[in-house]
Amino acid sequence: MSSFDDISSMFHTESEKLENLINNTTKPKLSIHEIIETYYQIMNVSSMTTMLKQQLDANKHKTLLDKIAETERIISEKFNSSIHPQIMEKLTKSIQQTTKNLQSGDSVQKSKEDTENEAKLYEELRKKMSTKEFVEQYDKGLSHD
Amino acid sequence: MIEELAKNLVHLKKELAKVYDGNSQIQEVIPVSTSDLFPILQQDLELLHQFATKNPIYYNSFEKTIGNVPCIVYEGDINKYWLNSIQHGSSRAPFSPTWIMSAYVGVLLAKDLGYQQVIDIGSGDGRIAFCAKVLDLKSYSIEIDDMLSDLQNLLTILDFHPYCSDAMTFDYSSLNLTQPIFFIGGLAQMGGIALASGVLEKIDSISDLKKNAGWVFAGTYSQKYAPDPKNEAGWGTLIEKNNLKSIQTLSLPTVWTFHEQDETPYIFAQTI
Repeated sequence: MSSFDDISSMFHTESEKLENLINNTTKPKLSIHEIIETYYQIMNVSSMTTMLKQQLDANKHKTLLDKIAETERIISEKFNSSIHPQIMEKLTKSIQQTTKNLQSGDSVQKSKEDTENEAKLYEELRKKMSTKEFVEQYDKGLSHD
Repeated sequence: MIEELAKNLVHLKKELAKVYDGNSQIQEVIPVSTSDLFPILQQDLELLHQFATKNPIYYNSFEKTIGNVPCIVYEGDINKYWLNSIQHGSSRAPFSPTWIMSAYVGVLLAKDLGYQQVIDIGSGDGRIAFCAKVLDLKSYSIEIDDMLSDLQNLLTILDFHPYCSDAMTFDYSSLNLTQPIFFIGGLAQMGGIALASGVLEKIDSISDLKKNAGWVFAGTYSQKYAPDPKNEAGWGTLIEKNNLKSIQTLSLPTVWTFHEQDETPYIFAQTI
């Protein structure tokens, strides 16, 4: 297989993986792992499209360029304009709700087991907060585009 | 003797990390009694135990021999203080304490260096100021967070003068300091630089005080953080910029290095 075939095949695989991840984001509860994986794949495929567009010939590589354009459209119209703002909003609301829940139980005397179970919720909260920071970095990148 | 004590404490921490099988968010140990490895006055050790026992951040304790040292292990949780501190923009670093024993050893060195007053900046639950009082030094504890400040007021077994105040605007001249040493809470990369710079500026404005003042900075060699070009565990640039020199470094266990190989280097510095 030629080098171009390799690249073309790799791009198809990665963009397909991205489409699956994007389609998966429509489900009501998205885990932190799924969010991070989706954003990393967006960044991965976006880097590939930037690099490939500089190297491909409009006449010789029309099929691949069409696929790239289609993938860019999905990222821009489906993910950036719709799904990404929804993820930001869900994360913000989830952080607010978890914070409220954790603070509402402050005055109650807790057992060792209760304290250690609650510590897991704090750990979850820290993960949500750092995921939100990560997603916000992506958002800043969009506003500079 | 102080360096030996620090090394023995680090060894104790490493032994605890090997055998600890609990689930608490934070944990630390205090030897039960004075020994060759920990030649500390028994009455001082008892005060340190009182501080831990009265402190609501600890919810459980048990006796355990670690290495060959009979100790009490204290298990605690600081999550609610963390959550409160991050909700106030004024708080520069989230609360994460040093070990009580590390606070004691650090203050022991400060005393050995000839300092007469300890000012615990961003003091959390006030353990460094408390240890200074245990060691018969004048001590002051400055903490901006109201929840932590309330906590300190529960722990004044000895009066270490807790103040709920912003250390960057605090009136240090009101304390009539002569030979003070300032323990700066927070790593350089976690708000410590801003805090230390603010306090240094305040001390600079008090005639002749800076030349007699000492500084203790909690550093890190963790690769999680960008290194300081002048080293000193993140504090080199600040030390140079403020005409200070590092005179000694003590490596001591802290809550945040319990699961790490490296301890926390405490950089002792004074004016050139």
